[in-house]
Amino acid sequence: MKDLKHLLYFENLLQNADNELVQQAKSEGKICVAYVCENTPEPLMNLGNAFSVRLRAPRTDSMEISTYYMTSFLCEYTRALLERAIEGGFNFADGIIAPDGCTMINRCVENMELLHTMGEGNKKFFFSNMEIPLKDDDNGVELAILQCKNHILAPLHDSYGIDISDASIRKAVKEHNRVCELIRAIGEYRKGDKPRITGYEFHVLTLATYVAPKYLVIDKLEETLKELKTRKPENKEYRARVVLVGSEMDDSDFIKLIEDTGAYVCADRFCYGSLPGRDPIELNDDEDALTQVCRHYVHSCQCPRMMNMEKVYGRKQYVNDLAKEYGADGIIYEQVKFCDPWAYERTLGSTMLRDDFGYPVLSVDRPYSINSSVGQMRTRVQAFVESIEIKKLRGGAK
Amino acid sequence: MVVKAENYNRPGDKQLGVLFDGGKVRKRREWRGLKDTLYDYGRWLHIMSILAKFIAKPRNIKAMFRYRWMANYLATPHMIDKFTMGLRDEPLRIVHTSMDFVVYDVASTLDNIFRGDRRTGNDVEYSKKCVLSDENAMTAFMMGFPTVHAILREVPCMFVANLLTQYSSTHYLDVAQQAGIPGDVCPMPEAEAGTSIDDDFAVLGCCAVQVNTTCDGSLMGNGIIAKRLEREYGIPTFQLLAPMRHREEDVQKYAAEDMKKAIAFVEEHSGEKWDWTAYFESAKRVNDATRKRMAWLEINSTPYPQFVGAPFSLYNDTNYMGNCGRSKLFPPVDAKLLALAQQGYEAKRMMAPEYRHRCIVWGVQPQYCIDMLNWMVHCWGVVPLTDMLSMINTKMIAEEDTPENREQAYYDMAWLNENMIMRNRTHGGYKVLVSELWEFCDMMHADMVMLWEHMSCKALDGMHGQFEEQARERGIHLVWVCHDLCDPRVYTRQAIRNQFNDYMRTVMREEPLDPSIEILPDDNAW
Repeated sequence: MKDLKHLLYFENLLQNADNELVQQAKSEGKICVAYVCENTPEPLMNLGNAFSVRLRAPRTDSMEISTYYMTSFLCEYTRALLERAIEGGFNFADGIIAPDGCTMINRCVENMELLHTMGEGNKKFFFSNMEIPLKDDDNGVELAILQCKNHILAPLHDSYGIDISDASIRKAVKEHNRVCELIRAIGEYRKGDKPRITGYEFHVLTLATYVAPKYLVIDKLEETLKELKTRKPENKEYRARVVLVGSEMDDSDFIKLIEDTGAYVCADRFCYGSLPGRDPIELNDDEDALTQVCRHYVHSCQCPRMMNMEKVYGRKQYVNDLAKEYGADGIIYEQVKFCDPWAYERTLGSTMLRDDFGYPVLSVDRPYSINSSVGQMRTRVQAFVESIEIKKLRGGAK
Repeated sequence: MVVKAENYNRPGDKQLGVLFDGGKVRKRREWRGLKDTLYDYGRWLHIMSILAKFIAKPRNIKAMFRYRWMANYLATPHMIDKFTMGLRDEPLRIVHTSMDFVVYDVASTLDNIFRGDRRTGNDVEYSKKCVLSDENAMTAFMMGFPTVHAILREVPCMFVANLLTQYSSTHYLDVAQQAGIPGDVCPMPEAEAGTSIDDDFAVLGCCAVQVNTTCDGSLMGNGIIAKRLEREYGIPTFQLLAPMRHREEDVQKYAAEDMKKAIAFVEEHSGEKWDWTAYFESAKRVNDATRKRMAWLEINSTPYPQFVGAPFSLYNDTNYMGNCGRSKLFPPVDAKLLALAQQGYEAKRMMAPEYRHRCIVWGVQPQYCIDMLNWMVHCWGVVPLTDMLSMINTKMIAEEDTPENREQAYYDMAWLNENMIMRNRTHGGYKVLVSELWEFCDMMHADMVMLWEHMSCKALDGMHGQFEEQARERGIHLVWVCHDLCDPRVYTRQAIRNQFNDYMRTVMREEPLDPSIEILPDDNAW
């Protein structure tokens, strides 16, 4: 396919945490709110003059110092973040909000705090830890509301005078929804036999919406959507269509690796993906916006830390629904190595998707940056793709 | 800091190494003097009588052949021997009083499990009045159900089994890893998941209540176990939550509301109603146990600690968490232990001729090398004053039955649930794990911290550098001792001890008190 007009632009945004759009927003006097877990309600960090940036550590290499502080047994995502923080790579942020989504991310941010890695010269800088629900129920929604008030809205207002009114939240949700609608509309082009966007391209676009101020990426996303309407798809059959499921995915090269084997990543069910990360938040006028935002995040959450059994089973059903909707031939469950929640989730998920739903499943762990393990991973994905092809040739079930 | 015993001349000392024979130790002939040897022998007979009563029941014999982990219980007397090695006088009696009661409690749990187990005893009516609970779970939610039995099913299968014999978990770890769980997660929940995958748990109960107990691994392992319970055995499962940031005021209501749901769930499935009278009676016992624990710690903060080491930790686990005030049998044992500790303190009893260092044991202890704390006293004169798992709730809960206290009770139960052993330190932010350790060092007059580094415990590992730097700033000797919790294939017992030996020789430049036990040939022992 012909290259997307803005692909290189979006790719460049992913090369640095402190990318050009972050710098532009900062130069406009905006307040940068960093966060580290998908369960943090994004619109609440985009109120008034504030904008959110999901922390990541592109082009990670050595993690020796963070490994000293946290040992080699913590997941590379958290070690990469701490290393980058120690290097001073996150000094653009004006505050950080860190839910205890998992133990490792908690420890990562606590080390950032204890080592005084962020907020140098900014007396208003804050570290804010928050609890997030473990179950999808009304009690969980109530907790989320309270926590968001105490640990997101209060520090934003108290430190930077950010407008945290209902009207302000509604405005932020509107902007958030515009991004979601664009990403989901772009994602629709992954359906069908002749998709007009590759899984890699889609991931680059999606990831950019998490790491750059939203108001600065909307125009290029709109242009991209327009471009896709007339984009001529590849005149080839993909060897297998797969749903990629798992822990946080910072590395578009991993998707590229999968697609280089002839497979096609037709749906993304991982942290910071579009499903359900870019589901628009529907607001009504009968209830305050904060409650509705929190309810949306609690109900739509597909994080394995959600422990009630309806969610445990529901997550697998959700993957099955996606596989059907996007016409997948198989599922790839991935996990950043040493991630406990996804270690178990991929075991149970891969078993249930195979045994209960009948899909071929590849279950792998991976490094934070796939470049350190390309050969091994490619071999595993190739074998998986071939196994799906053989099944297809034999006319067997999915 | 050094405390030396006066006129320390006891039979059998400095020769403890001869008790290990390189294989599965079957007899222990430690000469402790006439009085203490007779006492010890009497307690050995008591343990054997508990085991004999247990095995006399046909359903329990049947279970011995059905469940792989049951064979570990043959090593029960040896476990007690490990804890009493080198002890005399009050410390010997304290260990026997506490651990013999733990043996009785575990034997009762096993007996109850097999009574209701569909594969062995199959007492259907009894099973209908049983609620399954996790290994590392507070049973606070059962404090008001005096006629319903809380069955901590994983305790005898996994937790205790690994105290008894070091290789008890390896089969289940292999099973779990063959099913796809990586080898880098905590082996405790992994082995429990493996037991479930291997279908080697007893099957009973009207329902189960699982808790996101100690770590992400525990939380996630529950899903695998619950799927089998619900879908294969038709045992409905409730997931009781314990917030992560448990010291924060703004999570308490959340926890209390879920506690109400858990109780309603048990009521629905057991057909029994919550009994407030029983609850507040249990609450009184919880407070009594808390006061006793604080009194033991106070004695341990003096130059003559009495109730220390693994028995201190294991007894607290059993009483605080597994019992949680529900049984009337614990308070008399608590009282006896306190009396012994006070008596020992007044008589200035010591477990070794010299206490060179006062040590706080922090982190998660290896199940398969649980006797190391006793070894530290005898080999190096390092006395373990307390451990992380024993530094639990010190708050008194409401114990009078009033309308206000009935609402407060949900908050108290939730508080206890949040503050179950281990998780009250590994979750809730670095202050409860790191900062409070230094406060405990001051409180207990400790000059040394032995930090168990359970290599798969992300909560501990994540603070590795902070522990090291902050200990250095405070001039506290910090000894890292790495292990893999319940997998001796990763770190053998001697590999664990060697880390301590190396520190004592190279950093502290000291020689052992009893060189005969510096290296023990126990890699093939139980």
